[in-house]
Amino acid sequence: MRKSWLRDYIIKRLLYSIVIAWGILTITFILVRVGPSSPADKYLANLAAKGHDPAQVIAAIEARYGLDKPILQQYGEYMLNLLQGNWGWSLSTSMPVMELIKRHWIYSFQLILLSSLFAAVLGILIGIYSAVRQYTKTDYAFTFLSFIGISIPNFWLGVMLILIFSVKLGIFKTYYDTTLPLFSLANLKALVLPVITLGTGMLAAYVRYTRSAMLENLRKPFVVTARAKGLPEHVVIGKHVFRNALLPLVTIIMFDLGSIVFGGAYLTEIVFGIPGLGQVSFNAIFANDYPVVVAITLIGTLVVLLVNLTTDIIYTYLDPRIRYD
Amino acid sequence: MTETPKAIAKDRAPLSGGGLRLIGYYWRRLTRNRLAVFGLAFIIFLALVAIIGPFFTPDPTEVDFEAKNLPPVGFTITHSTYDIKTDQFITTRVSGNWKHPLGTDRKGRDMLAMIVSGARVSLQVGLLATGIAIIIGTIIGVMSAYLGDWVDNALMRFTDVMMTFPFFLLLVLIVFIFGPSLAFIVLAIGLTGWTGTARMVRSESLSLRTREFVMAAKALGAGDGWVVFRHLIPNVISLIIVIATLSIPGVILAEAALSFIGLGDPTVPSWGIILEEGQHSLTTAWWVAVEPGIMLFLTVLAFNFLGDGLRDAFDPKSSV
Repeated sequence: MRKSWLRDYIIKRLLYSIVIAWGILTITFILVRVGPSSPADKYLANLAAKGHDPAQVIAAIEARYGLDKPILQQYGEYMLNLLQGNWGWSLSTSMPVMELIKRHWIYSFQLILLSSLFAAVLGILIGIYSAVRQYTKTDYAFTFLSFIGISIPNFWLGVMLILIFSVKLGIFKTYYDTTLPLFSLANLKALVLPVITLGTGMLAAYVRYTRSAMLENLRKPFVVTARAKGLPEHVVIGKHVFRNALLPLVTIIMFDLGSIVFGGAYLTEIVFGIPGLGQVSFNAIFANDYPVVVAITLIGTLVVLLVNLTTDIIYTYLDPRIRYD
Repeated sequence: MTETPKAIAKDRAPLSGGGLRLIGYYWRRLTRNRLAVFGLAFIIFLALVAIIGPFFTPDPTEVDFEAKNLPPVGFTITHSTYDIKTDQFITTRVSGNWKHPLGTDRKGRDMLAMIVSGARVSLQVGLLATGIAIIIGTIIGVMSAYLGDWVDNALMRFTDVMMTFPFFLLLVLIVFIFGPSLAFIVLAIGLTGWTGTARMVRSESLSLRTREFVMAAKALGAGDGWVVFRHLIPNVISLIIVIATLSIPGVILAEAALSFIGLGDPTVPSWGIILEEGQHSLTTAWWVAVEPGIMLFLTVLAFNFLGDGLRDAFDPKSSV
């Protein structure tokens, strides 16, 4: 019985995600087509400067990119190409966009992974501590600090960390060293400041979420029961309260990925010169490399979609109370 | 259970009486929160700086050739310059002076003037873009809840799609495609930032729709417009105020971040642009990066404090 509705639910979620993905691709297509500048512009300027006839150049480039075809046919081809993994050609780096992404995603991934770990572990611990000691001086101090952590602009924090720890104290390099092997201590050291930069805002947010989720559950009758039957306090907190607070927490953490973390990672990479996808997109903006900028926004969005879907499915396994009918 | 009915009544919103009394009640609850008062005070201060500041400061684009990289008042740094005639490095000690209280950047522009101009940009963008986002979000939320059925379905699916886009990445794409002018940045943030509002307003309106007073109004023959404007919107207004206040920091940060990565309006000195310049002169003029960042941080902090205070003040369940 449970198995069958679970399967139905997962299929339903999958179909739904496909609809959302279609919406995302369509909106992106419309944005690019409606935009005032086109991939032709850059060439146009170059070639016109060399004395070519602008009208001829436009025609040639539009034919090259298929911009002369009817809009619906363009739309169909765009969708088909994306589905086949053909994400276009990066003009500024002279390689397929997919290849460019394959080379650089790992830098974004390691930064986001380490920052999330740092923020989640520390944030949950501080949050639990704060909730258990509600209205004490430590609790107030952590609450106040979390306000500061949420409000501090992460790119500014990065610049300040560089100023203090790299320029003044000389402990870390001012720039991320791209020659370091990924799995090495030196690389880990190079990532300390970036992880703090990206992780602080998340950390502060997780402290607040954990604290309020814990407090909500601490007031529930099952806590009284657990205490009444003589369970030691750490079991009550760790096993009963925290496990109940964890599920909503996971949703929020996953949701933050798209709304806060990706934007933060983009900026952190630029501040520290980490060659991840944010930096690639940043360079592409100045090279007017259209397909790359579009592709990286799309990749970020599709990753969020995938993470949301996975969270949803894991949820149904983790929480026996959940029934979606 | 020890509370007497009278004590409870004292802490509740007055049920009768005009809007002024209600505002007074919420004002008292808000001002009991010291952090919220600090937030409000700082925002008022910032607004004053943004409005009347430009009359007292020089033109932010004006360059003082005599004083490049001048530190703020109270700080002294050593400049080292290369002298061609003697082929030697000359180190000179430079102290800040009151002509440029916050110092100057590497081009010799007055930092105070740039900070004041940046305050104007940040507040304008923050208020305008949030206003647009809130209006769109409220319209979509109320329409979704009130019209229900396929309208609700279509609008909420569209909201889901927009919500999946990472906010900043979408913003980067839009500003990249349409070009960085301040008006367009405001519009882009407004047009992408409404999703949260739409969802919250929708769920609040849904629960209001089935309440007795709405049914009573309908039973008395009230039309859709009457119900929406006299009953639904006034009841979600406190929610909207809180969402708006808590959205402003994100919007201000988004504009600063866009400027920081070079997608800001290049014609207006905003905090993000100064910060970007400051990052490249950390070794020679640290204050260029520090000052706009502190302003940005305090502004965001102030709106967060105020928003949190407002939320507590409006929440009948919280005891302030």
